[in-house]
Amino acid sequence: MIKNLSLFFLLLIILVILSCEKNSKEEPVYKPTPYTFDIPFAFPTKMNIPVNNPMTVEGVELGRFLFYDGRLSGRTHPDSLMSCGTCHIQANSFEAGSNHPVFEGGFVHGLTGIQTQHVMLPLINLVWNQSGYGWNGFLFNDNPNTNFRNLEDFVRIAVLAEDEIGGDTTKVKQLFQSIDGYPELFFKSFGSSSITFKNIEKAIAQFVRSLVSANAKFDRFLKGEEQLSSSELNGFVLFTTEEGADCFHCHGGGGNPLFTTHLFYNNGKDTVFTDLLDRFSITGNITDKGAYKAPTLRNIELTGPYMHDGRFSSLDEVIDFYSHHVKWSEQINPLMHHVLRGGVQLTSTQKEDLKAFIRTLHDEGFLTNPAYSRPDKFPDEQ
Amino acid sequence: MKRILITLFMAVSLVSCNKNQSKQETDEGNIIIEINHTVDGKQLETDQMIYTNAAGNKYLVSEIQWMISDLKLHRADGSTILIGKEGDIFYIDSDIPESMQLDLGFGVKSGDYTGLSFTFGMNELQNKSLRFVNPPESFMFWPDYLGGGYHYMKLNGKWINTDDVAQPFNFHLGIGQVYDTLAPKSSYVSRSACCTSAHCEGYTPPEKTMPIIGFIQNYFDVRFEDTSFSVHASKSTKLQLEMKIENWFKNPNIYDHNIWGGSIMQQQKAMKKACENGIDVFRLTVK
Repeated sequence: MIKNLSLFFLLLIILVILSCEKNSKEEPVYKPTPYTFDIPFAFPTKMNIPVNNPMTVEGVELGRFLFYDGRLSGRTHPDSLMSCGTCHIQANSFEAGSNHPVFEGGFVHGLTGIQTQHVMLPLINLVWNQSGYGWNGFLFNDNPNTNFRNLEDFVRIAVLAEDEIGGDTTKVKQLFQSIDGYPELFFKSFGSSSITFKNIEKAIAQFVRSLVSANAKFDRFLKGEEQLSSSELNGFVLFTTEEGADCFHCHGGGGNPLFTTHLFYNNGKDTVFTDLLDRFSITGNITDKGAYKAPTLRNIELTGPYMHDGRFSSLDEVIDFYSHHVKWSEQINPLMHHVLRGGVQLTSTQKEDLKAFIRTLHDEGFLTNPAYSRPDKFPDEQ
Repeated sequence: MKRILITLFMAVSLVSCNKNQSKQETDEGNIIIEINHTVDGKQLETDQMIYTNAAGNKYLVSEIQWMISDLKLHRADGSTILIGKEGDIFYIDSDIPESMQLDLGFGVKSGDYTGLSFTFGMNELQNKSLRFVNPPESFMFWPDYLGGGYHYMKLNGKWINTDDVAQPFNFHLGIGQVYDTLAPKSSYVSRSACCTSAHCEGYTPPEKTMPIIGFIQNYFDVRFEDTSFSVHASKSTKLQLEMKIENWFKNPNIYDHNIWGGSIMQQQKAMKKACENGIDVFRLTVK
């Protein structure tokens, strides 16, 4: 009897210990915190956030890990790692930049060595883009093809594309499932530790939407906090006048501080249009031949090479083009009304002034914001 | 007894509420204004070089974006009813089909109306920079240096110029500028450095770069005095507002693109002529 009693108490103690152990190990809780935007001064209040992917603090943080984790390629060999952050360098406004050690001149290629069809576009303020993503806007909200609508789809396309990551979505999700820490982060973000590629897309898209540039010198000027120099002011006048450099209709200004309309224009680079991935390829409208998205000019001095095909390596070349080398074609956008003079005909002083103004769109805080930077440690290294 | 009184009070209240609701429903109707861009009486075909204006310029139209404000209904007794609230604007864009139908909503008092009026653009009290932060309206901003606020209209297209080339034009209307024609050349905006440097000897800065010393409001009112229509309770009355594009270039001023060139935001003389022409650009019909 005593022996039985001892055995009973022993079992009871073991049970209590086990129970304690279970309680002491915290179960992850799915209680995502809504991610809130402080709308910057003069910025749009309407944002492009899909109903099925509301932004959360947890989702953005997970997206940041995935954005920078080279295992997004679905491979673990050091030579086969590639993530969004491989090409999208924060210091270069999330483009490769002309100074990239691997992608010479800023022309990026995928893991297999195939060069991308177009050069990169920066990842800035994309949460305010309502007019389609990509140089030709092939991803747009009301696309009948539901697989080509928003940033989430861009993630999948980049992972699959041979000229980018060249991966396999099944392998990618399986790999992250096997990496310590990730399943828990997925649970916290989406309520399930079973990793799906859809949730990988969603997390990275959330992180990309969180990338906000709104504290350049010009932003502070607009708020009355800082004055522009004489040269910068001259440049601003040129930027926003039809008889000056006439940039504002496509690239914004004080009334549109995104510094882009995100719309598509044939800006007179060519007279013959052979690119099969221009805006025409999306709309079928003949007037869209040779038309491409007007990119934002924020941090533009860092995001060369310029134009969809990277034909210009410096801002000076771009300004020279708009000043003297615009070409007429039937498809040229009517906003390029200086075309028959070859461009806006800026003097050398005006070019310097214009460039000085454009440099006021440089946002150092965006380029160094720790919330946007590569994490010190990935989840399995914590 | 107390309970009976409370029940009676509640019943009366409910009946009263219902009565008010039904009164509201029977008193108000809707107006839908369909926008129509036409040239020479036919529906606009964009990007087709098939039109000729009063000056003899062959031209095409690629897109039109414009804003109206202060939309009012007029009654026989001279009273007016403002649609929406003061400062409301309506944005119309040939590239955005949903903007081509102004649904005023079921808040229009039923009855007979003798006409309608609106302001083309916005008056100086309403036309303030940064009042629209969201596209597409924000894309209409008019640079502060040129007067600020917003374009009243962007009408973009091309015309066949005297060299027989399709030249782009931006027929943009908004606040005009007064330039200081007596200012020394060295004070011309952003041209001063060039004017004083040796390699620009003989360079004559264009008038449009002179210092700006004032602004001119170019908005104008459009009134349809004798277009009678009725609004019936709980029903929609359809009106059609037609913009006759050829009239921008016609009456009372013959507007010649070869004279005014491709851009007029800094040419008050051109904008003035255009706005004077605007007086018979619009036509209102009851559908």
